[in-house]
Amino acid sequence: MEQIIKLIVLGLCMGGIYALVAVGYVVVYKSTKVFNFAQAAMITVGAYALYQALIVWSLPIWAAVLFTLAVGVALGLLVERLLMRPLIGQPILAPIVVTLGLMLLLRGVILMIFGGQVYGYGEHFLPLGAWHVGFVTLPMIQVYAFIISMVAIFALIQFYNRTRMGLAMRVTHEDHVVAQNLGINVKRVFQYSWVIACVLGVISGMLLGNIQGCCVELDVTGLMAIAAILFGGLESIGGAIVGGLTLGVLQMLTIGYLAPLMPGEPIMMVPFAFMLLILIFKPYGLFGLVRIERL
Amino acid sequence: MAIHRPCGTFDRTYYEAKAIFRTRLQWGMITALILALYGIAFVMNDYLLGLSIVIFSFIVAMLGIQIITGYAGQITIGHAAFVGVGMYVLACVEAHLGWSWWVGMPLAGIGAGLISMFFGSPSGRLKELYLAFATLAAHFIIVYVISNWESMTGGVDGIWLSRPEPLLGIDFMVEHNYYLLALTLCIAMIYLAKNLARTKLGRAFVAVRDNDIAAEVMGINIFSTKLLAFGIGGFFAGIGGAMYAGYNEYVNVEFFPLMDSIWFLGFLVVGGFGSIFGAICAAVLWKCLDEMATLMTPVFSQILPGLAFYVTASFSLIMYTLIIVIFLVLEPRGINHRWNIIKASYRLHPFAY
Repeated sequence: MEQIIKLIVLGLCMGGIYALVAVGYVVVYKSTKVFNFAQAAMITVGAYALYQALIVWSLPIWAAVLFTLAVGVALGLLVERLLMRPLIGQPILAPIVVTLGLMLLLRGVILMIFGGQVYGYGEHFLPLGAWHVGFVTLPMIQVYAFIISMVAIFALIQFYNRTRMGLAMRVTHEDHVVAQNLGINVKRVFQYSWVIACVLGVISGMLLGNIQGCCVELDVTGLMAIAAILFGGLESIGGAIVGGLTLGVLQMLTIGYLAPLMPGEPIMMVPFAFMLLILIFKPYGLFGLVRIERL
Repeated sequence: MAIHRPCGTFDRTYYEAKAIFRTRLQWGMITALILALYGIAFVMNDYLLGLSIVIFSFIVAMLGIQIITGYAGQITIGHAAFVGVGMYVLACVEAHLGWSWWVGMPLAGIGAGLISMFFGSPSGRLKELYLAFATLAAHFIIVYVISNWESMTGGVDGIWLSRPEPLLGIDFMVEHNYYLLALTLCIAMIYLAKNLARTKLGRAFVAVRDNDIAAEVMGINIFSTKLLAFGIGGFFAGIGGAMYAGYNEYVNVEFFPLMDSIWFLGFLVVGGFGSIFGAICAAVLWKCLDEMATLMTPVFSQILPGLAFYVTASFSLIMYTLIIVIFLVLEPRGINHRWNIIKASYRLHPFAY
């Protein structure tokens, strides 16, 4: 019993980051109807940008974080303008190929600049150490990561609900043509969505880089978050949060109970097996829109 | 572009209307090309022969994804894993049953086809993006199973296997004999794929790709058509994998990273959607660029000593993505379309159209 509670608590902490990554996917998908596989690479970019600022340039924390966020914003603007805008209106395969390619492009750029070593922030970013709550030992970096993720998602929801741009974005989610008729600049909305997604990506990158270390394989963690979105439904931010937390718990339970029974690293495979199961039994997720097609 | 025919060529029988090559000149050119391909085996050195064999096996694998994605429109991000299944089926048949390459090669195709059908089966309910997720998951699951089922696949150490046994006194340990074998197989598979696209099934694939609801209304069983597309595409992937593994005499999980699955899809776009010629161009371009990146390694190691390995890896990543993006933005219909335009303008020469 103690074991299971421990695993669930740790899983929720990890799930917070998955939720943050998953929301990044959802933001772009809702606005532009493009599924941004490159979100996975934004994580790596964020992790390495923070490493560059914090360790290599030894800036203070606030400056390093600001630099990383700025990298996220710049990346979002560049990607939207150079890659995605020329592809508006092309068949669905084009954006899939381009975002997958972008993922590998960013991986290539990072390999070129940093090489393939694994870097860590040490104690320069979030405080190390652990809290002991009853019988559960909580590593501080995990708890902070969970809190930061939730704050970021909360800020995003407030942005959607309270600001004029957020309203425009919600209209765009419904229908591009209607939004344009209402005088909303849909291209601007796309731009905002990409910037928001990239910023969320680099934030999760900072947190994941802190926990797992900076390496180019961080993008596989990003791909795992796709399982979270599928669980919640591709169009739902609430679903992404629920999915992320579920995925985190599921992964921890796997480490606790299945890992001794299975060879290798089932932690890598579980999210994808989970994803396949969801796709087979409930493809549009818990809160997703069921697509009805007609000729 | 079949309408643009040389002047004065008419079809007088159904047989002529169905022909792939319509004029004597076309027949002559294709025969000359094939003879030339066979002929140069005896003048190329081992390095070029090896490169050509790799290209031939990837042409066959690329035809597989062309059938799944290009003809039937089912997006797959797991094609490299299907190729890998082919390699491992061959390797396991050789290592555990002791059967020869000649039995293992068709079994590799069938095994990869079955696995591909299994992971393609969500296509009954899913399409487009969701199917892409399912095949992405398939890639990771296949790689996990292969690298952890140690009693069967040898885990991360891989399996050593042997070249095909001598047949009719031809020894395939000799590089140019294996080249001839690979070329023959490759031509046979191209012929198969080209004709598959012209059969009832091939037309059903295209109908499903263009609009699957309309196809169903027309009386096509879309689920079995999609499954068949996955099965046949996987079969091609498996044969390609067996050709590659037989040449390498070694298989390893490292041979089919996720990256390769993405390049399969990306270069398919570069080559051109729904055309056999496009798939061939794509495979040749991809493997030649790969070789170029490898050849650049000494150059990089002089410029940036210590980082050369990573620079080579990242150079190819960046170069391929740029090529794919440039094609998608400027010529979304790929090399095949460009080539057809060139042919048409040559035939119509003094006139614009």
